[in-house]
Amino acid sequence: MRLSELLALIACLALPAGAEDLTVVSWGGAYETAQREAVIAPFEARSGTQVTITTYDGTWSALAERGKAEGWDVVDMLHDQARAACARGLLLELRPDALFTSEELADFTPIKPGRCAVPQNAYARVMAYDDRAFPGRKPTRIGDFFDTARFPGPRALQRSPDGILEWALLAEGVPPEQVYGLLSTDRGLKLAFRRLEEIRDDIVWYQAPGEAAEMLADGRAVMAAGYNGRFFDRAQRAGAPIDIVWDGRIIGIEVWAIPASTDAPEAARAFLAHAASPQSMAGLAMRIPYGPTRHSAFDRIGLNPDTGAPMRAYLPNAPQHGGRSLVQDSRWYANTEALRTRRFRTWLGAKD
Amino acid sequence: MRMAILTGVALVVGSAASLAAIAFIELVSALNTALLIAPRARVQWESLPGLVAVSTVLVPTLGGLIVGLVHRHLSPAKRPLGPPDVVEAVQFHKPLPDLRSGLVSTVTAALSLGAGASVGQYGPMVYLGALLGNIAHRLRLGVPHLASIAVACGVAAAISTAFNAPIAGVLFAHEVVLRHYATRAFAPVTVASVTGYVIANVVFQRPALFRIEFAGVEHGYEFALVALLGLLVSLAAIGFMRLLLALGPRLTASIKWPALRTAAAGLTVGLTALALPDVLGIGTSTLRFATIDGAFGLGELVVLIVAKIGLTALCIGAGFSGGAFSPSLLVGSLIGVLFWTLVSGVAGIPSSGAAIFAISGMMAFASAVIGAPLTCILIVFELTRNYDVTIAAMVAVVFSNLLSHRVFGRSLFDVQLARRGIDFSLGRDHAHLAVLKVADYIAPGSVTAKAGETARDVAKRLSEQGWREAFVTGADGQLLGVFTPGSVPADSLVDTRLEPAKLVFHDDTDLAEAMDRLRGFVGDAVPIVSRETGRYLGAVSEADLVSAWLDEASRLRREENASV
Repeated sequence: MRLSELLALIACLALPAGAEDLTVVSWGGAYETAQREAVIAPFEARSGTQVTITTYDGTWSALAERGKAEGWDVVDMLHDQARAACARGLLLELRPDALFTSEELADFTPIKPGRCAVPQNAYARVMAYDDRAFPGRKPTRIGDFFDTARFPGPRALQRSPDGILEWALLAEGVPPEQVYGLLSTDRGLKLAFRRLEEIRDDIVWYQAPGEAAEMLADGRAVMAAGYNGRFFDRAQRAGAPIDIVWDGRIIGIEVWAIPASTDAPEAARAFLAHAASPQSMAGLAMRIPYGPTRHSAFDRIGLNPDTGAPMRAYLPNAPQHGGRSLVQDSRWYANTEALRTRRFRTWLGAKD
Repeated sequence: MRMAILTGVALVVGSAASLAAIAFIELVSALNTALLIAPRARVQWESLPGLVAVSTVLVPTLGGLIVGLVHRHLSPAKRPLGPPDVVEAVQFHKPLPDLRSGLVSTVTAALSLGAGASVGQYGPMVYLGALLGNIAHRLRLGVPHLASIAVACGVAAAISTAFNAPIAGVLFAHEVVLRHYATRAFAPVTVASVTGYVIANVVFQRPALFRIEFAGVEHGYEFALVALLGLLVSLAAIGFMRLLLALGPRLTASIKWPALRTAAAGLTVGLTALALPDVLGIGTSTLRFATIDGAFGLGELVVLIVAKIGLTALCIGAGFSGGAFSPSLLVGSLIGVLFWTLVSGVAGIPSSGAAIFAISGMMAFASAVIGAPLTCILIVFELTRNYDVTIAAMVAVVFSNLLSHRVFGRSLFDVQLARRGIDFSLGRDHAHLAVLKVADYIAPGSVTAKAGETARDVAKRLSEQGWREAFVTGADGQLLGVFTPGSVPADSLVDTRLEPAKLVFHDDTDLAEAMDRLRGFVGDAVPIVSRETGRYLGAVSEADLVSAWLDEASRLRREENASV
């Protein structure tokens, strides 16, 4: 963090106010590597713009603190965080109809470019299991996560109410379109925690998102809730026997946004238009299984350049996955965080 | 040619009604979110409980006030319109009440539902569909009864869109609105219904209203339980309908200013919702909870059922615009869950879960209220696409209908219509005959004599007109009796020896009653007397009445058996 700040500072000082320079802010790790190869390098080659990549923790507060000082021009954000930042005036208003034609706007799925953000990829919170643990019957539905009679063994779960409450209601047979409506009532929350209570003794908690795949690989858990990209990485690159159950996947959207403090708004907009093209999206999806947010990008997705895996099968929003899927309601998420956390803590503390 | 016209009308009306229904649902849903009625909107203001509480009380109250004021000042009909008005218009081939009243009623329905009043959305949607079909009244395309068929098309498309249930849409239009199954109507209604389904499903890809997964009925005796549930639910439905019909006049008598009636009902809903938010609005989430085992405690269920029945009767009785169908679904399903809780939880009888009882109860209640058992059975089938659930629900529906039809009447609509003098309880033909008044068939040539005339004069007039009896009236026009030539000497006065009339009709006697009383009557004419003043109005000949009856019967037969 320190180093990147220093680098950004140097970059700012060395190339002051150059319209040809951009500071793009992302998350680091394998994700950033994939972005650099699929999106940023082609953009530099095509436009001649120098791009500097900085990382941050994904929160709108980090954008508020560091964005202006470090000269951020483009930020990779979660949709709910971008929404919060937009509401606080931290992001540039985009006028999507100036960036894209109406056919292009219609091509976006499941959400369209908004006031402050352009969707760039879809990730999913999914359930995965250790293939070795269930030699005969395999889990296929989200309800199986709560079924310790048919599928015994420890479940790895992030210590947070995110995702698990939705799953608990899906397991009760609630259709996806009603899940958030029901979770908005006291009765719905009670039912969700009742379901969670059934597996209380089988839960092993984890904190960092990467741990889920690790726990499956080293046998600390037989089922886990986590992000599809992490499970993919572990299974493909480390050869771990991890399978993903796509039923009940909760799809979240990652967006591109431009900080209001940018000094290169035109170059930033050019970057957004490029990054939101089907080619860029397909390129990213071939390197890391985060699905494109445009219909036309799906057909361009081929094999992973490193492992040779056909990537379409691993994307959270691939059209061929059956089962139920839920698109995370980012506004509801942002506004109910306090309530959900409070109820979750109460449940954690309650001893039956 | 007629085929093309009927298909064209069906397509146009079906699309329009379907789009209007979707727009209506979206409008209500947007209002529910904006006015903090929907749980999903309320929870996002959870950090400000004061705001939520204040809006919970104020929104339905102000909504009621506005609905009342709008009805009073903008609607010529001065009341919400609904399915009974559609049935009346279609049955007697007359236009619906004026367009403006219809539109006002639709807007106030959206507002009532949007503000969380405990009313249903399907009645207004049916009316809106009918309103679009009603435009065909202006067309002169040479197809008999085209307007009625078009109205039925609108109704079918609205139901088909609302429930994603095209078959139920067709059946509802025939079972409740048209009450016959002529091909001339059946074909276009089916086209309109499918059009609605295509628009809702293929074009807009709207989710099914009520999806459910259900493994099947595990124990044979559950069908007996479901039949028992049907009977119990029917009792509740009868209570609900009686309460609804009784509350209206009571409220009118106790609160003079109409807008205050709806406001008071809204306030009651709001105050109840502070403790029991489930009573607000249509209750989609509550309906879903009913299918989840153990979502409600026993006490909660009883309180919720009583509150929902009371508040719905209050809201509709007070003049909120909206139907009784969706609250019926909710109350019925809650009674089903209550029954299940008692049977499986308290009595310990194993069962296949709450869902089957919830759905059976839901449809048993609703079919008793709208009087459409076939529609309700088909709605279950189309909503759940599950054969087992449908069979169980069918059992509940028929047992409920058996009891409610016997004790209350065929449906809430029919009883409401009967109170307006249109009685379908003995069938469609009887209702049609019952609106024809014998007074309209007074024979112009019937012979009347005044007391004091000589028998000769009167006999002469009788032979000129070809009648055998004259009706003799007194000084102030009252009927004195019947004079037959030959009964007295030709020189005496007609009123020396009068026979009393064997049969007397009144000005409000209808054809159905008249035909019934004509049984065993010998004579050629029946006098008609004003019920109020006792004055003689004229006479109808038996032959005229019989031909009127034959004409009407043949008209109905033609309508009911029309091919194209």
